[in-house]
Amino acid sequence: MQALEVLKISSLSETVLKSLSQNRISTLFDFLDEEITKLSAITKLDISQVLAIRNEIFAKFSAPLANGSSLLVKSIIHKNKLNTGIQSLDTILDGGFPTGYITEICGLADSGKTQLCLQISINCVKQSDSNVLYVDTKGDFSAIRIQKMLDAYGCSPKEMALIMFKIKVVHIWTMEELIDFFKHLKKETIAVEKLSMIIIDSLPCLMFQHLGDDSKIGLTFLNTFVNYARYLCKELNVGVICVNIQTRWVDMDAADLDDEADTTDREHLYIEKKSRCLGKYWSHIPALVIKLDKVHDSNSSDTEQCSKVDVMVVKSNSLTNFNLKCILNICDLGVT
Amino acid sequence: MKRFNIFNSTELWQRQTSLPSIPTFSRSLDNVFGNEGIQLGSITEVLGLPGSGKTQLCLQLCASIQIPKVLGGLNAEALFIDTNTNFTVSRFIEILNASLTKCQMLLDTPIDIGKDSSLEKLHYVKTIGLEKFCAFLYRLPKFMEEHPNVKLIIIDSITFPFKEGISAKQRTGLLFRQMADLQRLTIDKQIAVVLTNEMSTRIGLSTGSVVGALGDAWSHRCNKRVLLSTDTSPSNRLALLLKSNDSPNTVGRFQVTQEGIRDIE
Repeated sequence: MQALEVLKISSLSETVLKSLSQNRISTLFDFLDEEITKLSAITKLDISQVLAIRNEIFAKFSAPLANGSSLLVKSIIHKNKLNTGIQSLDTILDGGFPTGYITEICGLADSGKTQLCLQISINCVKQSDSNVLYVDTKGDFSAIRIQKMLDAYGCSPKEMALIMFKIKVVHIWTMEELIDFFKHLKKETIAVEKLSMIIIDSLPCLMFQHLGDDSKIGLTFLNTFVNYARYLCKELNVGVICVNIQTRWVDMDAADLDDEADTTDREHLYIEKKSRCLGKYWSHIPALVIKLDKVHDSNSSDTEQCSKVDVMVVKSNSLTNFNLKCILNICDLGVT
Repeated sequence: MKRFNIFNSTELWQRQTSLPSIPTFSRSLDNVFGNEGIQLGSITEVLGLPGSGKTQLCLQLCASIQIPKVLGGLNAEALFIDTNTNFTVSRFIEILNASLTKCQMLLDTPIDIGKDSSLEKLHYVKTIGLEKFCAFLYRLPKFMEEHPNVKLIIIDSITFPFKEGISAKQRTGLLFRQMADLQRLTIDKQIAVVLTNEMSTRIGLSTGSVVGALGDAWSHRCNKRVLLSTDTSPSNRLALLLKSNDSPNTVGRFQVTQEGIRDIE
């Protein structure tokens, strides 16, 4: 909470502030929490002055009002889409990932989430002089893979170095560290210049550490993280991409079992469901969710070292058409 | 205040390529794990049914880590965390001697490889039960400080301590906490971690009902997952890369011989 000094009101002189802090009133919240008559007695200001200060605090620190036209101007000035550099993906995303919002990429293990993230970070720094921050929570960031992708693409060593220099990586191992790191970014005690995107690979890896914990401290962390991430999104005008995972659950279809157990194939008795992790709270947070699904193609898997991934938009706050699909190829060259 | 190190990827590339990988003595298997074997700074999970060669591979790696620097090896030490008493020292000596003899043959001038001193380079911990396992992992950073030349940690197997006495949710939470600590060590100190995992059955999955144990969430955690299985001939084995952060999913072939892991001729 912010200290009273930030107000810079003439009636709150140094002597007044001193006597307030002697009564353990040092933050804005302490001030608002105290009875007016008591405040008046401590500060030796009359009640109307105290009320004026209170109003000042509310006016300055409550949520600001904006109207439609000013919001429109703002959205036009700011570039609001981050090109992914992958044509088919850009088409279904109507230009790319949104800046100012949280995007989620989810999928099962080995569905290409990390590969897509690596490719997006390459493409993003290649097109502009901006930097990408890659928050690595499970040691999956492979600079060797990035170098191989650039090599296969035909970049010279100098170009490679230039591109790789603009991809910044930070290793984070716990939720506390992640929140601490975002706090520093907010306060600008840690600054990355010309930042255009923050990629977190992956969030469940941190959140699962709090699984089975009765205190529900994990949810508190998640909520704090979301608040910081949203602030940074808007303030720095960057896109935040979180990697989420999917797990599979198998249900037995009981109705089928009774009625037509003889006619249906045994395979159909089981229903496989895939669900996004991180719980109900998180499921409402991202503005855009894309789902990756590996295509198991028995015909061409061994002959070429290429795998196909189905990409689908599951949730979006701006696209009118969802459930759009495209297919990406992951091979030596990267993701195309 | 805790310091956060922000690297750019060129720095990381230099770090990741500055040290050699740990070879498996089978070129085909090396290709599955990476270019030249198990990369330092990563966690690799080896899956397989009983008898598919998981422990054999672990023993081979403990021997491979001792390859002298002149041959492009690491000349380092290994730590073997044994949770299900699969380790046999006589088998390890067999593989170690065969590996060192092979190194000798490649060198013109014989180097001094004392058999006793090479056995000293294996640190062995037997942890029975979840408490001992957790307690040892807790002390692991201290152990690494005292033994800076340890470059490989084997946990055989990760599943066994979690067999009973813990709910599924708590198990996942604990595992992820332990892995985060372990990963911090692997990145900071540039060491390789190899875990073995068992297979379990989930009926009704579309991709086949025999899957790695510890659930779907766990399957994301390791940087690389390799599935071992037997082939037509009893000594031949297949290795399939199930997940990797830097290479496409390939299949390798190798055999388990008297001397350890070798290519199929």
